[in-house]
Amino acid sequence: MSPAVIAAAWLGLGLVASAVLRRRTARLVAVVPMVGAGLTLLAARSATTAVPLGGLSGISGLDRAGQGLLVAAGISMALVILLQPSIDVSIGRTIGVVGAAATIAMASSDPLITALALTAAIATMVLRWIGQSPGRATLAAGRVAGTGTAALVAASPFLPLTGFTTGDRPAVVAALLATGVAALLAIYPLGGWAAGIIGSLKPMEVAPWLVLLVPVVLLIAERVPGGVLGDGSPIFEHVLLVVGLGSAVWSGIWAARGPAPMRYGRVFMADVALCIAAVEGAVASPALTGALIIVVTHLCIAPILLRSEGAGLLWPRRVAWALLSGVPPSPTFWGRLLLLEALAAGNVGSTIAAVLAMALIFIASVMACSGRAAVIDGEGWRGRLPELAAWLLLAVGIAIGLAPQSLTRFVFGS
Amino acid sequence: MGVSAPLLSAAGVIAAVVAMMVDGRRAVAIAVAFLAAGLAPTAATFGGAPGAAVLGACGIAALVLAWAGWLGGRVLPWLSGLDPTIPAFAPAARLFGPRSARAFGAAVAVPIASWVSFNVPVGQVTAVEGLLFPIAYAWTCGVIRLLVARTLEDLAVGVAMVGIATGTAWLLRSGGDSFPGAVIACAVAPVAAFLAGWLHGRSSRKAHPFVEAQA
Repeated sequence: MSPAVIAAAWLGLGLVASAVLRRRTARLVAVVPMVGAGLTLLAARSATTAVPLGGLSGISGLDRAGQGLLVAAGISMALVILLQPSIDVSIGRTIGVVGAAATIAMASSDPLITALALTAAIATMVLRWIGQSPGRATLAAGRVAGTGTAALVAASPFLPLTGFTTGDRPAVVAALLATGVAALLAIYPLGGWAAGIIGSLKPMEVAPWLVLLVPVVLLIAERVPGGVLGDGSPIFEHVLLVVGLGSAVWSGIWAARGPAPMRYGRVFMADVALCIAAVEGAVASPALTGALIIVVTHLCIAPILLRSEGAGLLWPRRVAWALLSGVPPSPTFWGRLLLLEALAAGNVGSTIAAVLAMALIFIASVMACSGRAAVIDGEGWRGRLPELAAWLLLAVGIAIGLAPQSLTRFVFGS
Repeated sequence: MGVSAPLLSAAGVIAAVVAMMVDGRRAVAIAVAFLAAGLAPTAATFGGAPGAAVLGACGIAALVLAWAGWLGGRVLPWLSGLDPTIPAFAPAARLFGPRSARAFGAAVAVPIASWVSFNVPVGQVTAVEGLLFPIAYAWTCGVIRLLVARTLEDLAVGVAMVGIATGTAWLLRSGGDSFPGAVIACAVAPVAAFLAGWLHGRSSRKAHPFVEAQA
């Protein structure tokens, strides 16, 4: 199965779903990510270019890690839709474009194609966000994330750096790549634009960025090999380390003392910032495994915690927060432990910052667990279905905590 | 006859300044047309006739697609949408408005582009130093336009500027992949023009009572 076919399926189904479905059948939008995930299962890495684009290296296919990530993200996105109390069918269009762009970005081995796919995803989301809630926060998403994709696009003509591993060219390329990754993951400026959209939009509107795009960008950033950047490698690594840790601490503080509806978004941003800081800033190998465990955990519990607090699922939410707390045997314990191990191999400053961020995430999780919200649970078997689905997801989360490396190997192949 | 780098730079700078300052319903199409014209001499220097043709086609496609998008947005019976020229938020009254910020940004972009053009070589086969100025200037102006954006139109203009500048930079690589890379990067600009035109068409259409009732 060619990645282009998978992307076309995402895009086509997304457009059809938003045009055909009505309010009563809105939940069928979940078919878009489910079919996308199903088709991605059939994808295989081919030696030849799947989609030739002239002299460009083009779209070569999905590797095992990319395939696993896209399948997990697709299933998670479908569950986010199914567990929402209400759905606006026009979100299908955004989900379709973002899913297609994520597939292309992950399958491409050319920096220009990857950057343009990410540009398409961000442009689609920003258009929707500004349409839904015009304001300073949504416009900031367009400004900052748009600048990030522009930086990635600008880096493409300078790559590869064969023969130019010293001097200003690798430094400029590294700065552009670091800007792009930091802006897309919202770790610059300290989670600013993402915090704004999480605060001003419904969780469902943020889900395509949070579930489909962030894990893909994280994995793409990990694939920027230090050796290729030459003299620019320290710039890329150190910028992401410092900005990532700063953003993790800042998001941790706001997760602990900010409003409850934004708490999950802040914890997610803190975790992503820790992952990118450790994966790029620490040369030790445990960082990637830790980051993958954390990503899978978030994909597992995002459908529960992206549901508004007053819409039921009181106990599943509490268990989900417990899984995020970092207390063993929660999966985040193992993930953060591996990140800490990698960061500790670097310097003591980054270790202290990471421990501080993790402590703040723990405090935020405890506060979320102990919170009492007035919730109305559904009556009858139809009302109980979301609860059943939530408990099944939590069972998967607990299984990840009990066998973290086996499950990440099952999903990512390594 | 040798290439006059100052002339190439002047053409690029004038085009980028126009693209930076243009506002209104046709801003994306105008910005793309000017940038394509301003960067075409640079593209022709390194990409020959095909290089200039890429930018020419990009400019024409932007004009046609902006009009097609506007027409499509007006004709198709969907809900009237967001006007891309209306600011997403209303800032407090200030001494200097958005155009002043853009003019200041265009001035700041000059030393940045100058440093890039004289210090960062581009090209797989041969290093081309000093001739990157108009491209780096257009790209920096595009990013500044994105950063100070107040409307969807501003964002679309910024994205289009970045696309054309990057496409021209791909022509300077002078490798086997430079031409397809330039085409793909430049394609961003007509797409941005189409989207802006589409949004204009939707917002300028009179609301149909039946459609509004359905909403």
